[in-house]
Amino acid sequence: MTVLVLTCPEDLTADMVVDRLSHDAIPVFRIDPADFPSRVALSTAVFDGRIQGCIGYEHRTVDLSSIRSIWVRRPGVPHSTADTEPAWSEHEALHALWGTLRALPGVRWVNHPDAQAAAKYKVPQLLTAYQVGMRIPATLVTNEATAARSFLNARGATVCKTVSGRQPDTASLPTAFVSPGTDLSSITGTPTCLQTGIRKVADVRLTVIGDAMHCAQALCGEGDVRFSGPVKWNPVKVPWGLRTQVLAFMSLSRLAYGAFDFAVDRDGQWWFLECNPTGQFGFIELETGQPISQDIADYLAGRTENKPIPSPRDESSIPR
Amino acid sequence: MTPFALGFAEPVAQVQLDHFTYDSTRQLNVLPDGSPVVSRKDSLSLWAATTSTAGSKTHFDD
Repeated sequence: MTVLVLTCPEDLTADMVVDRLSHDAIPVFRIDPADFPSRVALSTAVFDGRIQGCIGYEHRTVDLSSIRSIWVRRPGVPHSTADTEPAWSEHEALHALWGTLRALPGVRWVNHPDAQAAAKYKVPQLLTAYQVGMRIPATLVTNEATAARSFLNARGATVCKTVSGRQPDTASLPTAFVSPGTDLSSITGTPTCLQTGIRKVADVRLTVIGDAMHCAQALCGEGDVRFSGPVKWNPVKVPWGLRTQVLAFMSLSRLAYGAFDFAVDRDGQWWFLECNPTGQFGFIELETGQPISQDIADYLAGRTENKPIPSPRDESSIPR
Repeated sequence: MTPFALGFAEPVAQVQLDHFTYDSTRQLNVLPDGSPVVSRKDSLSLWAATTSTAGSKTHFDD
């Protein structure tokens, strides 16, 4: 039984899990798809309805039949060194590798690439959170200045945040309050996300792997906790009822792993902000001691008995 | 036209240089002395790669 880890080499957070697996003598095969096909070798055969083959990287080779779990952490994109048609060559490599992995039977994904890709979109996230009973801030995604002005006028305290969650290449973009008189005309060029600003007293990161949850809170006021300088994260209990909501969210989203962000308001109410299917957990574990990497290792090793995550093809098993 | 949201952007914070390399034999990152970075819990949190914004620019990893 081999755990396949797909991530970039400098991923120290992945190291935390790989170290746990290795300590427990669970075979690990770690590659970065960005090294395929230049440094990673792949052969996949389909005979009589069965898939056979192997993946090789430097001195290691793993038989496809031995892969039981795949952790999609921070993988790069296949990179070709072909002199002719490199973009096409990379597209071929992408289909060869991911097509092979998707075809492996009975694999435990963290997370399945289809679910992971779908779960990254903010608007469906908010709807799913509402569907399972979480509080969500009123949100507007728009490139219309008039719509933005109406939202600001109606909602009062409003924050601006990225639509995708991705940071710009040359700057840091914290979630920030929008002043009432702000010029909104430039919204027409790039859509933006406006949201009712929660007058928060704390931020919560809730990390989920399978049925295991770890919750930590930081008291940083109304600023963006990611850019507020050093903050102290402390373990907190998951509020009554939220655990069921979180598990329902994960099931509807077909996720095995998720990093939830909540804002806690002055009345102690928790507001769902987002769930990042590839969210960072290293800083939480290091500050709180919560055994997140061990739980992930246990899940990948198949040692935790969790409700199977519905595959994208298994529509009938999705709770509604 | 500058995107509206970038009106709230701030300079990128200086991060500590990562003085470790990937050891493909151990499948872990190691320090110059050959010891795994993960074995140094006290200093592991100092590495930018484990912070809440690690990888945001390339891997949607907050």
